[in-house]
Amino acid sequence: MRRTIPLLIVMVGGIMMMIQFFIPHQISQAVFGLYTDYVPVIAGFALILGVGSLTRVHYHKVRRRAENWQYSLLVIFFLYLMPVFGIILPASLGGQAEEPSVFHFLYRWVQIPIQSSMFSLLAFYIASAAFRAFRARSAMATVLMLAAVIVMMGQVPIGDYLGKWFPALGLWILRHPNLGGKRAIQLGVGFGILATNLKIIFGVERNWLGGAGR
Amino acid sequence: MAENNSIWDKLFNMDRRWIFLLMAVVVIIPFFFKMGLPINTTDEVEGIYNYVDSLEQNDAVMIGFDYQPGTMAENQPMSEAVMRHCFARKVPVFITAVLPLGNGLAEEAIANLTDPDEPGTFQRVRYREWHSYDYGQDSLPSRVTHDQLVNLWERDHQLREDAMGWVFEGVDYVILGYAPLFHIVLLGMGRSIVSQYPADLYGNPTENMPMVKRNKSAREVDLGVTVAGSSAVLWWLTYAHESYGMPIAFGVTAVMATDYLVYLQSGQIVGQMGGLRGAAEYEVMLKRDGYSIEEGKAFRGMDVQSIAHILIVILIVVGNVAYFAGGYHRKGRRLRAGR
Amino acid sequence: MYEQIGIWLAAFFTLAIYSFLYKENPVYRFAEHVVVGISLGYFMVYTYNNVLEPRLVRPLFVEGQLGLIPIMLLGLLYITRFFRSVSWLSRYPIAVVFGMAMGLSFPRTMLSMVLRQAEATVIPIYRTGYAWHDVLGSVIIIVGTLTALIYFFFSKPHKGWFFGTGSKIGIWIIMIAFGATFGFTVMGRISLLIGRVQFLLTDWLHLIE
Repeated sequence: MRRTIPLLIVMVGGIMMMIQFFIPHQISQAVFGLYTDYVPVIAGFALILGVGSLTRVHYHKVRRRAENWQYSLLVIFFLYLMPVFGIILPASLGGQAEEPSVFHFLYRWVQIPIQSSMFSLLAFYIASAAFRAFRARSAMATVLMLAAVIVMMGQVPIGDYLGKWFPALGLWILRHPNLGGKRAIQLGVGFGILATNLKIIFGVERNWLGGAGR
Repeated sequence: MAENNSIWDKLFNMDRRWIFLLMAVVVIIPFFFKMGLPINTTDEVEGIYNYVDSLEQNDAVMIGFDYQPGTMAENQPMSEAVMRHCFARKVPVFITAVLPLGNGLAEEAIANLTDPDEPGTFQRVRYREWHSYDYGQDSLPSRVTHDQLVNLWERDHQLREDAMGWVFEGVDYVILGYAPLFHIVLLGMGRSIVSQYPADLYGNPTENMPMVKRNKSAREVDLGVTVAGSSAVLWWLTYAHESYGMPIAFGVTAVMATDYLVYLQSGQIVGQMGGLRGAAEYEVMLKRDGYSIEEGKAFRGMDVQSIAHILIVILIVVGNVAYFAGGYHRKGRRLRAGR
Repeated sequence: MYEQIGIWLAAFFTLAIYSFLYKENPVYRFAEHVVVGISLGYFMVYTYNNVLEPRLVRPLFVEGQLGLIPIMLLGLLYITRFFRSVSWLSRYPIAVVFGMAMGLSFPRTMLSMVLRQAEATVIPIYRTGYAWHDVLGSVIIIVGTLTALIYFFFSKPHKGWFFGTGSKIGIWIIMIAFGATFGFTVMGRISLLIGRVQFLLTDWLHLIE
């Protein structure tokens, strides 16, 4: 009940869908249809896990008055403020229909700037890394560095001023040697996915069961 | 030790915040000098552009807003450029998202392309507005096309003078939005779009929308453009292209761009926009063909990008010169880590 | 007016994040925590409004499609994960979702990421109209893919004329590929910063067009 049946569901379902690809019989097509129609709905409930864990972690921090617990209060506050203004009270700021809702206001003027600024911090660190860590220590490192510089300058319009051949060389590197190396990597990723598919279907990989109820 | 106080030591032990400051200055200053350096287009981006350029109002495009605000500086210009191209060519656009955060970015893109205060944008008519409008004796055909609707609508309404054209929600675009397990959703849309999205982002029933009536499943969509900051692009390739043959194009962040060129060479995708440069190329072509009056944010950013790349190359060169001149490459001389 | 308030708020949060470059501080931490809450809250709203409401709640409770009850019960089983004694029940929705997804993935991934990719490596070296660098390029694609694969193949020791030489060429190809990735990574990171600076200078300070 606790392990065997879930494992069996995975195996039967997995094999059935593999066969469905090769033999699109009426029955397997019907199962396929049911699956694609309803599974995204079931998966929607998985959000409970995310919201539940986040709430639990921060609730404990607040309750134990752990260090910086005030920030945890902030997380919980905004986590539940959004659904209040998104689902229960989808109110606009000034009460007029054409005005933005509080929900959209928070997304547009708080979420977007914070998240995009966080990602852009990396520009500063990559500049620092270029200065401190990017060294022509060996022949291989030199090749890596040269490829990086040629490709980097070839991508920006000012590269054209160094000579027409310069961006052309950058593109040639992208389309040929880079492609060879990346194809090997993508093939590796592909084989990795296939192996994972089979391991899960045949119950070799069982991490998804989690530690629960063992 | 005297050796440890050489100029090279000082250079390496310099507070790294000076480099941060340098970077900030280099990214801010060039904005005040409009250089407008020309950008040449490449086969990768032309592939998408020419494909979209061959479509018309009986076809359809699906654009996936498969990124988050974190990478919107790179991705947003791409999706806006492709969408502008579709609107100008009257090709209906289905909008989806792998994550909910994509919903807001899609709304933002539509708002930008239909901004009434900007010249060269489109004039938007919401679904409820035109769908419940009284057209007098003429009844509205259920599978109404863009041109038919414009004829009916313009009897009582006038297009803004500086606008590029009308955009009708439900005829020219629909935001289907986010759905969980998007690869399964792609498979499901291969059977029927309504089964996956009974309502659009605003709760309007999709089954009544003319563009959904004319393109019942994703099999009838002529191009899928996935604009992404993650490997979600491979879902489109595997579950839409390989499952029911939807032609696919990628718009990816620069970090991923070099990885996915393999799918262009293999002919599995029609083209790829990589990073800000890819978006800028698309903008250049839009302006060339009169689909926009000026290039957008990506093109303007490329000038700054040029200067910033020069800074990075200088930092690499100075770092290496200091490394070798200071003798750090010899055994026994370790670099002290600065802040 | 709301737009103006919004722009100032956005500018404040942008600078709050950048204050981290000077040093870690409470304002940065404040922004960091706000965004965690808002992100997941946003996720909740659209999962309900866009998925659960139109595909489950309305058809079941308004239109009375009782066939959806098992779907709802299966989905609700996720909650059991938080109660140790019954948490094993949460494996059922996962199993239903997971198993078939794996089966659906296998043949399609085989096509898209393995077979088509292998096929695209079997290409003619010369075609009419090819310049010397195109020919060289095609050779490099073929040899590069093979040798890089040999390099990643760890089941055989990298010795002898085939595996030894192969893996040696392979590592050089991989280095060039990583170099290209590094170049593009630099480009991408700077683009993101350009995006923020564009916002600050244009929308907030109105210093540029």
